[in-house]
Amino acid sequence: MGQFLLILNVKSSAFLKSATDIRAQSVLKNISSLLIFGGVALGVFLLSRAATGYLLQQAHIGLFLFHRFLSMLLYVFFITVNLGNMIVCYATLYKSDEVAFLMGLPVAHHTIFAAKFLDNFFYSSSTLLLLGLALLLGYGSYFGMSAWFYFFTFAAVLLPFMLCAGLIAVIVLMVLIRVASRIGIRWLLAGIMAVYLSAIYLYFAAVNPVNMVQEVMKHYPDVNAYFGYLDPPFVRFLPNHWVSEFLYWSVSGEPARATWHLVTLYCIMATLVLAAGIVARSYYYRSWAGASEAATPGAARNTLLPVRIMDFGREGTIARPFDALLRRDFWTFFREPSQWLHLLLMIVLLLVFLVSMSSLELRLTQPFLQTVSYLVVFLFDGFLVASISLRFVFPSISLEGDAFWCVRSAPVSLRKLYWQKFTVSFVLIALTAEVLSVASTAMLRDSPLLVVVGACATAFVALGLTALNLGAGAYFATFREKNPIRIASSQGASLTFLGSMVYLGTVVAILVVPLNRYFEFLIIRGTASPGWLIVPLIAVALVTGLVFAFATGVGLATLRRDS
Amino acid sequence: MSPTIEIRGVTKKFGAFVAVDNLDLTVGRGEFFGFLGPNGAGKTTTIRMLTGLYIPTAGSCLINGYDVHRDPLPAKRSIGYVPDQPFLYDRLTGREFLYFVGGLFDMPAALVREKIAEFTATFDIGEFIDKRAEEYSQGMRQRIVLSAALLHDPGVLIIDEPLVGLDPRSARLVKDTLKARTAAGLTVFMSTHLLEIVEELCDRIAIIKEGRIIYQESQSTARRFNGQLETMFLELTK
Repeated sequence: MGQFLLILNVKSSAFLKSATDIRAQSVLKNISSLLIFGGVALGVFLLSRAATGYLLQQAHIGLFLFHRFLSMLLYVFFITVNLGNMIVCYATLYKSDEVAFLMGLPVAHHTIFAAKFLDNFFYSSSTLLLLGLALLLGYGSYFGMSAWFYFFTFAAVLLPFMLCAGLIAVIVLMVLIRVASRIGIRWLLAGIMAVYLSAIYLYFAAVNPVNMVQEVMKHYPDVNAYFGYLDPPFVRFLPNHWVSEFLYWSVSGEPARATWHLVTLYCIMATLVLAAGIVARSYYYRSWAGASEAATPGAARNTLLPVRIMDFGREGTIARPFDALLRRDFWTFFREPSQWLHLLLMIVLLLVFLVSMSSLELRLTQPFLQTVSYLVVFLFDGFLVASISLRFVFPSISLEGDAFWCVRSAPVSLRKLYWQKFTVSFVLIALTAEVLSVASTAMLRDSPLLVVVGACATAFVALGLTALNLGAGAYFATFREKNPIRIASSQGASLTFLGSMVYLGTVVAILVVPLNRYFEFLIIRGTASPGWLIVPLIAVALVTGLVFAFATGVGLATLRRDS
Repeated sequence: MSPTIEIRGVTKKFGAFVAVDNLDLTVGRGEFFGFLGPNGAGKTTTIRMLTGLYIPTAGSCLINGYDVHRDPLPAKRSIGYVPDQPFLYDRLTGREFLYFVGGLFDMPAALVREKIAEFTATFDIGEFIDKRAEEYSQGMRQRIVLSAALLHDPGVLIIDEPLVGLDPRSARLVKDTLKARTAAGLTVFMSTHLLEIVEELCDRIAIIKEGRIIYQESQSTARRFNGQLETMFLELTK
């Protein structure tokens, strides 16, 4: 226990030192973080309160249905925390130099496991915790709950709920690492992805939200009753159900019924803590050693890939330094499982998005609703592009890593390096974004003009987001961190993502009024001038130009810093 | 002898801390220059300024007459650099890494191929050349980094602790290679703590302490320390 506390103490001291650093740059960073995170938390709080109010007061869906929606949201939240912890745990528990160092000391393996798990849990879940708290405050403030409710629900409900997700992730991970030596990591990762996608699909197929809404709304307007009989039986065994039930009975003024669900949650959490301890005692060291000793695939595997064109020994058709950097980036990307696996996951998400879009009927007769549907689709495209940029473009400078010395000491202009990264990233991001934009707006059966406008706005957004993520990635570069996932989930990355959201919001704000006028003319008078759309596009181009110039300026200036 | 390396009034500050203070040094063509000093004296900082990794707070570093910071590309074309920590791209094989470095120096692939074959034999790299760097020992990393530094036949070799992690056979290989290359006109600027290496290899030395040169030989002389360099070093740096 003493060693465990000592390790935690050292880690929390390091965190506090960094948080209370009084150097101008650090203070500025901390204040910016506080402002941006605070702003987002405030936005989530207001949205949560407004959504609760709208659904209960205007849509009259009733408390039961509202909490079933909440339960679905919590399920997705649970899966997100679980998956996030599993991915980051792999890096922190199996690939960390710190673990290798601690393993060489007379410290029990399960102590190392416990300390690193907690470190990982709070590191990978802090942003989600903040969002969860903001959601909870918005929800609670609608019902006029006391301060005690927030504190209790956050500390005693939300935290254990997320801890359950993290514990399941780490238990599964330890077992999987042991199994991986037999079936191979690639098949294992593909299997995990299939299981998670199936879990989401099966849950929603079983819960059948459309059917539930229809069943409940049969009782409209007297829907404020408990319709628990509509729940499929297996749902009662899920933590998201316990939390939503706890909230339902708490706001319904029946704390005794709420308590039972809390007791269930605690029992499961205690069981999972125990199980994680047992699995860690039996498996952690052996799985860590196995992961460390595992023979890495040799170069012979390259021949299996249909990408001989990227072999280093081949003469390239483009200028040598650019060519060499391109080949290096290609191979280091596709040999890093966390990179190609995430790429695969993103592609699946994009396909799911496009398939969902194809089944939606969003061609509406009211101008404002048509504007909203068009912009929601545009915003969702933008959100996906922002996520892809954050995950793959933001870490690209940091991933130069400790070996950056060899580029910096070579006769290669760092500007060239920067533009090489920008060009490759922009081409790939813009291609993805355009496919999304054209496919989704065409699926909505929008006019060719709207498809072109969407494509142009998307091209600007792709340019802005690529520049923003590359520039910020250079500014917040952490060359010592080898794991791209940790880089893309660092504080700098969170700030960049929030910056991307602000930029996207600005683009949407520029488009909303002219687009609405365009739809008004089109739907009411049957014809509309393209001028309504061209002027805002010019404004979007100007904003993008500013973002591009600022981010690129910062990125290039940062690269000139000492390394 | 015209200077290949010139360090003119270089100062490097990190905040209020002065790591290198108004340093002046010149190294002539074909010289093997030993740069010595206790831990934290400013050796690595100086080397990092010479290779363009750090920007001097004041002064300038010239390689073959080119300012490393104002005119970096021609300066860097003639440098081979071996850092104190031989970091490589873990996911690339040694061969791929050498091709990559060759590409950065705009070398044709055929020439790189020849060089790789040469260095694989010279540094006894063997089959490790086609294994990924994540499998390498410290010594193997050092051999690959040294091969990368010599790949483009640089006129100047800047080495920070060249023999760390090498076994005696590899160390001998490296020393012999450096000797032969210096005889052929290569200028070497080497920082090391191993005084016996300095005695064996260096034509001229300078000792740095707390960012300032405290001892510098003005011209190349025949080796004359006769095992007394350690005593002299300890006396000067105490």
